[in-house]
Amino acid sequence: MGTDPVAEVTGARPVGVAIVDDHPVVVEGVRAWLATETRLTVLATGDDPDEVLRAAPDADVVLLDLRLHGRMALDKLAELSAAGRRVVVYSEHTDPETMLAALDAGAVAFLAKHEGREHCVATVLAAASDRPYVPPALAGAMVGDPRPDRPMLSDKEREALLLWFQSMSKASVARRMQISEHTVKQYVDRARIKYTRAGRPAATKAALLARAIEDGLVRPEEIGIYRSQATHDRPTP
Amino acid sequence: MSADLGAATPPTPVAEAPERTGGGVPAPRESASTAALAAPAAVAHASDRGARIVAVAIALAWHVAIGLPAVLAARAEFAAPVVVLGGWVLVLAAGATAGVLLLRGTPLPPWPLAGLLLVVDAAVFAAAGERQLFTAGNWVWGTLGWFFVLALWGRRVAGLVALLTTHAVIALVAVLGHGSDGADLARYVMYVYGTFSLPVAVFVGSAAIVGLARERAAAAAAMHTMAAERDAAERGLRERRDRLALVGAAAGRVLGELASGQADPDDPEVQRRCVLAAARLRRLIAESDDVPDPLLHELRAAVDLAERNGLPIDLVTIGGPPPLPVEIRRQLADPLTGILADARGWARLTVVSGPDEVVVSLVTPDRQEPEATGPPLGDHDDGPVQHLYERDGDIRWAQTRWRR
Repeated sequence: MGTDPVAEVTGARPVGVAIVDDHPVVVEGVRAWLATETRLTVLATGDDPDEVLRAAPDADVVLLDLRLHGRMALDKLAELSAAGRRVVVYSEHTDPETMLAALDAGAVAFLAKHEGREHCVATVLAAASDRPYVPPALAGAMVGDPRPDRPMLSDKEREALLLWFQSMSKASVARRMQISEHTVKQYVDRARIKYTRAGRPAATKAALLARAIEDGLVRPEEIGIYRSQATHDRPTP
Repeated sequence: MSADLGAATPPTPVAEAPERTGGGVPAPRESASTAALAAPAAVAHASDRGARIVAVAIALAWHVAIGLPAVLAARAEFAAPVVVLGGWVLVLAAGATAGVLLLRGTPLPPWPLAGLLLVVDAAVFAAAGERQLFTAGNWVWGTLGWFFVLALWGRRVAGLVALLTTHAVIALVAVLGHGSDGADLARYVMYVYGTFSLPVAVFVGSAAIVGLARERAAAAAAMHTMAAERDAAERGLRERRDRLALVGAAAGRVLGELASGQADPDDPEVQRRCVLAAARLRRLIAESDDVPDPLLHELRAAVDLAERNGLPIDLVTIGGPPPLPVEIRRQLADPLTGILADARGWARLTVVSGPDEVVVSLVTPDRQEPEATGPPLGDHDDGPVQHLYERDGDIRWAQTRWRR
């Protein structure tokens, strides 16, 4: 993945994760994935978001299966995000509309279930520190976003998203674009940050944006004026 | 899906699945949108042509059958018979020309024609004389409105109302100029009402009929398109169900053997079967287009073919490609299908489409052996399609990109 988005999370206590899924075998599988990372600890699991969060009110990140008992839990996702819960949606429903709807509703990240352990761990760690992480499937949805009110991405941001989606290797994208892996990640993350302005406001989106400004990923004057962002193509140092 | 896996399906050779899919994917549609647009226009055109014939027939028949006998009968009574008759002939000539050209679809310029008609109008009113002002011999009352309709055919009704109003003003000047009483004014109002109502009604009515015909034809065409797409979608659904049954059976058999201990999870062959079954199931789930697009159809056929060699393939599509000429589709798909046939290990095929751009990419693991049949490395343009092919030690990456 070429990055360690969590250098700062390695402090005193590990990141608490709550897993909401209605398939016990998936819960166990994800728990096993997360167990390989010492900075993560699973606090509660179950098939009802409210019950799980009552059991683990201090969870830093909620891993939410978007389809619970046959229903898309987009409303629940929006409610949790508005309340400031960092929700990572993971789902086998990887059609672009669903992924973008999850981002609009305030999900910190969207993970396709088949994307595997490495992406899952990286996504949860990034989410815990309000930093973006864009797995390849989500990059594809963003680069193909057909909505007229989609965020304006620069050419480099689009290209980085597209190549990352195609190759699933930031090293290969870097070679292709003749830039460093770090810069590839910056382009991808900046595109993701622009999506914090899409859909209704949510506490999670504000947190992502604030952290991005703090990290120097985007400049405050770029926020809210999308038309001018096409010219701010250069990644920040 | 789990129900399918658990169902007691009779064993089917795995190799059958791709064979079924190769030939059985529903034939893709070519764009139906042009036909859907053309049909209502044709119906509206036919309907408009009928209305034109009616309008031309009314104007000329009225002018000749009603106007001419009255003019000839009253010719001795006119103040200036030559002007009245000359005007009649002039309007017949201009009206016949305008009518023929209108039916041919190349109407005369409306405003010069309307100007000529108004000049004749004023001249005939002046030349008719006081006693013939309200008789049938003053033919402009009855006839001219219909020629206004011909002159302004297909335009907004406001123009026609303006011409008729000018006509009414000219008539009013004539009536007042010839010295009138209350009865004359009452008659005038009646005549103006008569000359206004019928032409305006025909003009507005024909425009409404054409509009309605267009709407109904559009609705009918849309229904046909929907029915055709529904048929194709149902065919696609059936095919997908069949494939799911086959793929599900294959996956179920592996799972069953694993559960019963017949198959060893450490056996590479068992692992390969699992990976393959998972890739196929995922591909089925990811197929989101109701009616397959021709480009995606070609790529899927190539993927099915490569799968027969036991290659697990991810095919991910984002957006739907716009209608593309065969040549462009070939340039987009062919370089990749060639590499796909030669790929080992795994493959990831992605298609990202927008209205102005289609990017197809194939990523496979890079192998150590030298290139035998691969395309030249680097990027080059093939008409509007850009080709890119590179190996970086980790992956072999081929990309074709069309931009409008």
